[in-house]
Amino acid sequence: MSKKRTTHFGYKEVDEDAKAGLVANVFHSVAARYDLMNDLMSGGVHRIWKRFTIELSAVRPGQSVLDIAGGTGDLAAKFADIVGPEGRVVLADINESMLQVGRDKLIDHGYQGNLEYVQADAQYLPFPDDSFDCVSIAFGLRNVTDKDLALRSMLRVLKPGGRLLVLEFSKPDNELLGKAYDGYSFRVLPLMGRLVAGDSESYQYLAESIRMHPDQETLLGMMEDAGFVNCEYHNLTGGIVALHRGCKA
Amino acid sequence: MAAGLDPTLITAALAALEAAVNQALTLDPAAQRALARLADRTFAIECTAPVFAVYLQPGAERVRLLGYHDGPVTTRVTGTAADFTELASSSDPAATLINGNLALQGDSAPLIELQQILGNLDLDWEAPLVDALGDVTGHQLAELLRAGFSGGRVVSRSLLRQLEEFIHEEARLSPSRLEVEDFYADVQALEQRVERLQSRLTRLRKRIVQAAP
Repeated sequence: MSKKRTTHFGYKEVDEDAKAGLVANVFHSVAARYDLMNDLMSGGVHRIWKRFTIELSAVRPGQSVLDIAGGTGDLAAKFADIVGPEGRVVLADINESMLQVGRDKLIDHGYQGNLEYVQADAQYLPFPDDSFDCVSIAFGLRNVTDKDLALRSMLRVLKPGGRLLVLEFSKPDNELLGKAYDGYSFRVLPLMGRLVAGDSESYQYLAESIRMHPDQETLLGMMEDAGFVNCEYHNLTGGIVALHRGCKA
Repeated sequence: MAAGLDPTLITAALAALEAAVNQALTLDPAAQRALARLADRTFAIECTAPVFAVYLQPGAERVRLLGYHDGPVTTRVTGTAADFTELASSSDPAATLINGNLALQGDSAPLIELQQILGNLDLDWEAPLVDALGDVTGHQLAELLRAGFSGGRVVSRSLLRQLEEFIHEEARLSPSRLEVEDFYADVQALEQRVERLQSRLTRLRKRIVQAAP
């Protein structure tokens, strides 16, 4: 009998088939308070990281953008402002609860016309080849079961010359900052999760999944292996977060 | 973008500045409308010491300030921080822009228009003050601010004029602009006459050499 393939879910080893369901449970649990928790956990700095992502996307009016794991729609809203009525933004998320929260929030803020909502798995994107000028995934890649498969899928849907932007937690470039960050992640985050969102386990998973995520150079190599060219990354806040960018030739 | 600086810091600073500029613009709808005319232009401000770049994109509703821009630029101004400070404190920024040490690349007319719009911002404090304090108090305070600002402007203009007069006329510490311009015109004329004389001498010297047995 063939042995089942495993992957990590935080620090736990789980069957590959089971990871998506476990991640889904985490995000069903945190969806309602996701924005509030993001602001609390990062002290609002996640807005700056996302702003920098928008700048590097070089998206222009009339272009089409796919925001994967778009969650509550922070990036999608900004992209929708830039591409204007002639452009198109697709907010995709595998998690129904997150997509629901994001869609409600954006509609409440008056976004309509150039925004579409799609429940989709990053590994098997349901779009034709060469569809988008820009694909972004912010704080989502580490939750994907097969990251290489997802990167290849993103490459497929990008138009030639299009750009992929991966904003994700990474490895601090300073040892002292790394230690302080570890203390914060494993002590403060779960406590904050319990007090504000009533769920410490999901935030424990968040801290663990960040440590298990490939570091800057590894992810850069993965993007190049998937077929992206001109790959580069920018460390943000001392490498706590990194923004990777690659182009489709 | 500044080399070596964490992009988080630059992006945060630009976000704060952008919010302040846009907040100010909401208090001057005329400037907002004027800026809308410059929509789709990108102005690059590149500082060489210290090294950083800021890209300004006016829009129909708000101005965007970016630390990174990957696309065509309408006007690019390059110089050191001292050159930009000189421009900011100049009484005639258009002249400083053209005659100063700043290097200008691209179309200068939209840049001068942008500078005039931002330089002539006339903030109307009434709406936010009335919203916060009510009709009576808000209006009174807005009147006071208006009088204060316009009085302040008059006083500062008058002080500047008096100081200029004192420096030029009373203390004779520095010549006036007209005297300096006259002096430069004379120097230029003298330079031309010297050059003409030099070429006549050269010609004469050649003739003497040719005429010599």
